Amino acid sequence: MGAPRPPSPRPEGGAEAAFLPSPRRVWAALGRLVPSYMQGSTRRVGIMTDVHRRFLQLLMTHGVLEEWDVKRLQKHCYKVHDCNATVEKLEDFINNINSVLESLYIEIKKGVTEDDGRPIYALVNLATTSVSKMASDFAENELDLFRKALELIIDSETGFASSTNILNLVDQLKGKKMRKKEAEQVLQKFVQHKWLVEKEGEFTLHCRAILEMEQYIRETHPDAVKVCNLCHGLLIQGQSCETCGIKMHLPCVAKYFQSNSEPRCPHCNDYWPHEIPEVFDPEKEREAGISKSNKKPLRSRQH
Amino acid sequence: MSEQSKDVCDPNFTAEPSNSEVYGSPGVPGGPSPPASQAATLAGPESPPLGPTDASLALPPSQAPSEEGDPKALQQAAEEGRAHQAPSAAQPSPTPPAPAQLVQKAHELMWYVLVKDQKRMIIWFPDMVKDVIGSYKKWCRSILRRTSLILARVFGLHLRLTSLHTMEFSLVKALEPEELDRVALSNRMPMTGLLLMILSLIYVKGRGARESAVWNVLRILGLRPWKKHSTFGDVRKLITEEFVQQNYLKYQRVPHVEPPEYEFFWGSRASREITKMQIMEFLARVFKKDPQAWPSRYREALEEARALREADPTAHCPRSSVSED
Repeated sequence: MGAPRPPSPRPEGGAEAAFLPSPRRVWAALGRLVPSYMQGSTRRVGIMTDVHRRFLQLLMTHGVLEEWDVKRLQKHCYKVHDCNATVEKLEDFINNINSVLESLYIEIKKGVTEDDGRPIYALVNLATTSVSKMASDFAENELDLFRKALELIIDSETGFASSTNILNLVDQLKGKKMRKKEAEQVLQKFVQHKWLVEKEGEFTLHCRAILEMEQYIRETHPDAVKVCNLCHGLLIQGQSCETCGIKMHLPCVAKYFQSNSEPRCPHCNDYWPHEIPEVFDPEKEREAGISKSNKKPLRSRQH
Repeated sequence: MSEQSKDVCDPNFTAEPSNSEVYGSPGVPGGPSPPASQAATLAGPESPPLGPTDASLALPPSQAPSEEGDPKALQQAAEEGRAHQAPSAAQPSPTPPAPAQLVQKAHELMWYVLVKDQKRMIIWFPDMVKDVIGSYKKWCRSILRRTSLILARVFGLHLRLTSLHTMEFSLVKALEPEELDRVALSNRMPMTGLLLMILSLIYVKGRGARESAVWNVLRILGLRPWKKHSTFGDVRKLITEEFVQQNYLKYQRVPHVEPPEYEFFWGSRASREITKMQIMEFLARVFKKDPQAWPSRYREALEEARALREADPTAHCPRSSVSED
């Protein structure tokens, strides 16, 4: 792999300090660990306590978490280590941790699910230039199948690639020859590992994959990749203006046109022809979640 | 925010009995590791004395003989491996790489270890060398040290050599208490629930659980061997292959039975990570009974808990002090 490069500008979340070289970065480049994260040679670096460490451990264990779970996790970590401290606001808490992670080229990244706008968080590696997270799980031909599926998804109009189209590419895969039957199972494996999502025989990227691989995707498909007109983030699924062709994420559309009776395209001002989705409301979600959890299968044996 | 003074070097930090901490931090807090150290002139790591070991618990077979022995042994193994590889043009001893590159390798290794652990895969030293360290093999000791230091400082995790014999590492939580975490998000971790169901079935039976018995239990959850589940996917594959691969379960043929039948046992990893008391509490939750409703099993669980406490008196029982999340 190449020499370390500074993290590229991130569209959402993340410490602003990333854009300015700091003494920390210089220390790291000189091959000395920062004298201590704790004693902060720069005031911008946060202080790691056991609360933060436990939080990081658990976040890593779970891979990707929704915002509500993250808040719960944060409270849990406080409860375990530092019962009396006031729980810091989540955004500050995460920015604090990210300032420490910065010199390691990893960060807690916040994203939003493309279909219903839920905020999600994951610990991502900014220095990867390949699908390194997947590499150890899958064989060469399986990885290549993923790359082919990814290309189809990016090139598609809807952000979905049909199973048939993906399977037809089976002959072009690198590595050991794969049969279509086998490929079907590999696709299911991707779904299970939360890299792809299947809906009625069509596949798109799981929100986790988008969060973790955004950088990789943008680098490997610089021309084909679509970008949201509002947030400028990577776009796989979304709505497009039929006149000028700009695209927007569903949650971005929801927020932009909220309580606007005459939605118009922000670029060409034409009437926006699509149904405007609802803005994600965590409160409503929680209520729905609570009633859902009451229907757990072991219910007959529980309270 | 108060900085915890517990540092990596404290052997009492870990609740788990373990082999000696080979790649502990040389950390004098505030002292940067000098770049010169990478020139492989390390005289054994300045790690703390052996962590508490307890013969009565199931431990990986080999005990690290001495502090200095392990890094040297691994280093030798790495170099032997290199000697066996395709001989490229005769290389004079290569110049030490720039410090920044070693630091970068340490970061890559850190991420690699974290991801392997996240996926519950074995962290195998030869894999580490092949996938991450690559040509910097000669400096793998210093890279490993730096990685351990970062993991400890930032994540509160110890990178521990669990078995010199098989060259396996594992990430051990250095923060106590540990078991709470499993509880905290347990209703969002269906895999653990599924695994616990099977483990508790085996535990209650006191011997292996036949596959048919396991499916009877899983049927209650609506899981069938032939049906794909929205969360678990191919359940049969999950329990007979993946959990087995991760050493949580053992899946063996029942001897002398025709037509062939299979049964499940606890895997070595389950024995290491899950206590009998946790199983009892799980059962109590599921059946809404007191754990003492299974008297002999409960006694066993108490025995094990006592043995664990005696092994490390500084570890406290999390259950008694903090309520469930």
